[in-house]
Amino acid sequence: MARTDEELVALSRSGDVDSFNQLIVRWERPIYALAYRVLGHEEDARDVCQDTFLRAYRALPGFKGQAKFSSWLYRIALNLCRDWMRRRRRTPVVQIPEGVDPAELQSEAGAVESIEDLVGRRELNAIVEHAMRSLSEDQRTAIILKEYHGLTFQEIADMQGCPLSTVKTRLYQGLSQLRRQLECHGRGVPELVKRT
Amino acid sequence: MSESFECGDTGALVAYVYDECEPEVREVITAHAARCASCAAEIEGLGWTHQQLGAWMPPLAEVGFRMSVPSFERSLPWWRAPLPAWAQAAAAVLVFGAGLSIGLARGSGVDQAASSQPSLVTAGDAASRSDLARMEQRLKNEMAQLRTAASAARIPEAPLAARAGSGGATMQEVQALVEQSEERQRREFTLRSVELVRDVETQRRVDLASVRETLGQIQGVTGAEVRQQREAIDQINNYLIRVSQQGR
Repeated sequence: MARTDEELVALSRSGDVDSFNQLIVRWERPIYALAYRVLGHEEDARDVCQDTFLRAYRALPGFKGQAKFSSWLYRIALNLCRDWMRRRRRTPVVQIPEGVDPAELQSEAGAVESIEDLVGRRELNAIVEHAMRSLSEDQRTAIILKEYHGLTFQEIADMQGCPLSTVKTRLYQGLSQLRRQLECHGRGVPELVKRT
Repeated sequence: MSESFECGDTGALVAYVYDECEPEVREVITAHAARCASCAAEIEGLGWTHQQLGAWMPPLAEVGFRMSVPSFERSLPWWRAPLPAWAQAAAAVLVFGAGLSIGLARGSGVDQAASSQPSLVTAGDAASRSDLARMEQRLKNEMAQLRTAASAARIPEAPLAARAGSGGATMQEVQALVEQSEERQRREFTLRSVELVRDVETQRRVDLASVRETLGQIQGVTGAEVRQQREAIDQINNYLIRVSQQGR
């Protein structure tokens, strides 16, 4: 039976490195995805991911377990992303790969997806990435945490250090702006929505 | 969240789309959206955008990062495993203390040994005294020889000493020497000055001669050119005169 995060954290705090490695295996992909979506750069996202776990390991004795381990990791990762962007003075531009790798897409999407679907999905992927660039850092982070990591409004508010209502406002404004951007890129809003 | 909902409450609509509101509030909003086109459109638009965002997938990347500790630290038995820092420090202090106490004990032993060997030192002193006596005698002999040599060397200095007795004569001699030196320096200075003036004059004459020569060459060239030009003009004049006479 798999151990919970809390159990693995407790073992790691007592010096069990293998337990911490299990936590890494469990959380490296979400942390990498978060860093990639915030930074928009694969290499930087990988570095931030590693730094996140290194910092977490060093700070483990100070982790008292008030928050969930994942929330704590997300907070570390987001702080690192912020530092990274500040240091590099890099606007979060998402890399859009030049060529299509059908094999990679096939393995990612499953065998039942047709080539047309793959191309369409890749196109939408690129459009969403592009649209995300137009958001402010706070809006983008709130949407990423909500959409892709399933955090609650309260968790996002704690992480961003703002009231709950601010998180909702950021989400609403960000989603509205994304909707306009997607419309500009030819992604039609359903007719029902247009008519109403 | 309260169960009441006001039309256009965007925060509540966002919570509705993400299904993060109380069931009672959800029912209220659903009922409201059924009769409010604006709120229904907002909910539809937010839901549609939320659905579209699902397409954004980060690239597959193998992070593969693991924490590691050196393998020997795990495999070594406890008695061979490296000690923690505090234990190493304690061991270092222990070794230092032991060394210090041994050193102190040895130092006091040496003092005792030194006090227990007075006869050896006395013997050494006696031997060196006889050596010193021999050396003293030898030095005295050498000094006596030197004194004899010095007195022999002082003999020719006697007239000088006699002369030194009369200070006025010496002063005159010194003055005469100084005057001679000054005279010699004056002569040398005059000679050098004359040579310098002569060299400058010679150089000036050479330069003048070269300048004149160059000027002469230039004048000669210029005169020849002028002569040629005059001849050419004369020829042209003659030609013109001839032509005009033929024309008449």
